Amino acid sequence: MLRHLLRTVNLFDTAKTVLFLCFLAGCNPSGERGQVRGPVYYERDDPRSLDPALSTDVTTGEMIALLFDGLTQFDGDGRLLPALSDRWTADRTGRRYVFHLRAGVSFHDGRPVVAADVKRSFLRVLNPQTHGGRVWPLLPIAGAGDFADGHASDVRGIEVMGDTAVAFTLTEPLAVFPKFLAMPVASVVPSPVPADFGQHPVGTGPWRFVAWQHDDYLRFAKNPSYWGGAAESESLTVRIVPEALTRAAEFLSGRISVVEVPFGETKKWEQEHPDWLKRRPALRPVYVPLNNRRGPLRDARVRQAINHAVNVPEILRTVWNGRGALAAGSIPPTLGGSDSARRPYSYDTTEARRLLRAAGYPNGFSLQLWRSGTNVEMGRVAQAIQAQLAAVGIQVEIVSRDASSMREAVRKGDTDMAILDWWADYPDADNFLYPLFHSASFGPGGNYSFYSDPVTDSLIMVARRTVDQSAREALYARIDDRVYQAAPWIYLWFPVDLWAEHPSIEGWDVPVIFNGQRWTRVRVTAPR
Amino acid sequence: MLQLLGRRLLATIPTLFGVLVVAFLLLNVVPGDPVAEMVGERADSATIARLRGELHLDEPIPVQFGHYLWGVVRGDLGRSYITQRPVLGDLAERFPKTLQLAGAAMLLAVTCGITLGVIAAIRPGGLIDRFSMLIAYVGVSFPVYWVGLLLILLFAVALRWLPPSGYGGIAFLVLPALTLGTRSIAFLARMTRGAMLDVLPSDFVRTARAKGLSERRVIGRHALRNALLPIITVLGLDVGNYLTGSILTETIFSWPGVGRYVLLAIQKRDLPAIQGSILFLSVIFVLVNLLTDVLYAKADPRVAYD
Repeated sequence: MLRHLLRTVNLFDTAKTVLFLCFLAGCNPSGERGQVRGPVYYERDDPRSLDPALSTDVTTGEMIALLFDGLTQFDGDGRLLPALSDRWTADRTGRRYVFHLRAGVSFHDGRPVVAADVKRSFLRVLNPQTHGGRVWPLLPIAGAGDFADGHASDVRGIEVMGDTAVAFTLTEPLAVFPKFLAMPVASVVPSPVPADFGQHPVGTGPWRFVAWQHDDYLRFAKNPSYWGGAAESESLTVRIVPEALTRAAEFLSGRISVVEVPFGETKKWEQEHPDWLKRRPALRPVYVPLNNRRGPLRDARVRQAINHAVNVPEILRTVWNGRGALAAGSIPPTLGGSDSARRPYSYDTTEARRLLRAAGYPNGFSLQLWRSGTNVEMGRVAQAIQAQLAAVGIQVEIVSRDASSMREAVRKGDTDMAILDWWADYPDADNFLYPLFHSASFGPGGNYSFYSDPVTDSLIMVARRTVDQSAREALYARIDDRVYQAAPWIYLWFPVDLWAEHPSIEGWDVPVIFNGQRWTRVRVTAPR
Repeated sequence: MLQLLGRRLLATIPTLFGVLVVAFLLLNVVPGDPVAEMVGERADSATIARLRGELHLDEPIPVQFGHYLWGVVRGDLGRSYITQRPVLGDLAERFPKTLQLAGAAMLLAVTCGITLGVIAAIRPGGLIDRFSMLIAYVGVSFPVYWVGLLLILLFAVALRWLPPSGYGGIAFLVLPALTLGTRSIAFLARMTRGAMLDVLPSDFVRTARAKGLSERRVIGRHALRNALLPIITVLGLDVGNYLTGSILTETIFSWPGVGRYVLLAIQKRDLPAIQGSILFLSVIFVLVNLLTDVLYAKADPRVAYD
């Protein structure tokens, strides 16, 4: 037997072994790449580009925040801080802002930052030829819309005042405007931009660009002359790792520095590695928009009944591993304008039935609930909602589609219900009211429930114009309360993000807003 | 032979044109909006309308197809809506990596699969036969996804012999190649065993033994060579599996190849990227089929093409 075995195996060894070795020798022999000294972060997908003008998603935004600065910035706690502008003033009307540039800041290629760069950066974002897709943070500037439409050759609301200051005149007062300028798309870029800018960016940020292997990794080196103090590590690597369990494996083998704990692993990690874990309440409601323009959902009593019929605390505990805080409104509890005294809708099927009878649906009706096929956890939440609504006579059909198809249907208003979450672009209650409930935001703007109430609309606009912070927050609380009573959503919860930091890493924390973590204080303390 | 190749290559043009038409039409029928994916979660209708215009998405479909076809004829697959990079460049950057992975998986499949099959066929019903067929059975049944994660847990997390994922030297190639190749090993082993069992009782094998040839020459030169045709067929067909299977394998192992590019393009409804990838993969597929036919003739002189 063994004789036969050896002979047969020999048949293949010579030529093929040689071939195999040649082949392997041809592979990139950079197996040592995993041994980089600096911290290693990850993204799920390749960023769109490293050009701030194309920054329309979280991944791209996080990379832009490493390389570039805006006039303002957010820190990890979501506070608005000075950045390229070290001070700014607003006139009493809140319509005109003057931003003074920090002195002595240069781009990574040595060119000094001047006020004209700010203007040209913004024109670039607004220019339709850029194909960026995110212009709304700059549209409040007077004349920006005309320029974006090609009706004007300049934006009259941006005024360059010498090299050191730039003034913005807005179409109407907007208290949150300085926060808009902290978004990645409003980063300041050199002008003219270098060739192939999206692949070889030059910014002012804490990290300089070194290399980008698509779908594989990005490499950054510290900017030693960063105006905010040079980073503590020499280099930062961002790997592209699409699969959650692979990311966990990479983390456990010490090849990435921090990782979001995979949902299914929550209990295990909490028991085995409690000292690695970091929690942070997210600025992100998980919710089900109830299409206020379709069938029985037009009646507020029906929508309230649905809120009473869903046992949210139980779903949060069982399906979501308790990783969240119940929502009694759309403003996250950590933001001004959130009312901690407001009680969530009680789980009360009797009340739900009474409301349905009062609305004229004693025998219930049927609805569709859309979910994204790739999001397993959201799918389980959908099933739980389906089961609980059945108990009060509402038959729910779950429609599972890929994210893109679902997004299109939701935006067109073709869905009764969908299970969604909403990520903050800027940490302010306005980000949870204007896009989600103003009638000007129907569909693509973010108002997926098509909630429409003239009083709410005007209150939101009043709040946007209100410069006084506490008055503004009082207004937000009032608006949130008004909307909450009308129940345009099933209010679910605000997730608490759960991350693990490798024991060899120091100085990292979960940022409350995606571009609030810039990795300058993170360092590797022990060999991995 | 050259004439044959030329004729065959010409015949691929209508095939590829058909692929282009079908892909284009299907992509315009499926729900989902590329502009919505570009602008992200919050956008104003004016911006969306402007972008649609800029990308010619508001033109009639035949006109759009004309634009696209004209580009393809000139060797331009267009630019990705999302990244704004040329699709051809993106594919050219990723394809060598997919090829590397597929090549390694194929080598693994050929060496292990055929070896297992031949050994099994020498002593049908024997211990090795039963063992290798068990492996083949198991290998065919396990889903790629599961095998991949299991390999990562065992070799990267528990034993720490290999990196869990990523692109780099040989160490990075082992686990994905094994994952991608498992199914093929199993399938090839069963195929080879069957073909060998058909050939081994033949007269010419008996003659070869009677001539006093060593068992090694009998099996390797005479029996296996005659059993090769079905094996080549399976290998040719398998190339399709390597290309599609690479989507899962590349995702699990963070391998920066074409599979992941296609997947992301589909998720983002990045029409130029999807169309370009489909066309590119079709070309590869057609070429591999051609190569398979040529190999037939090489392996068996009785196969002649006129």
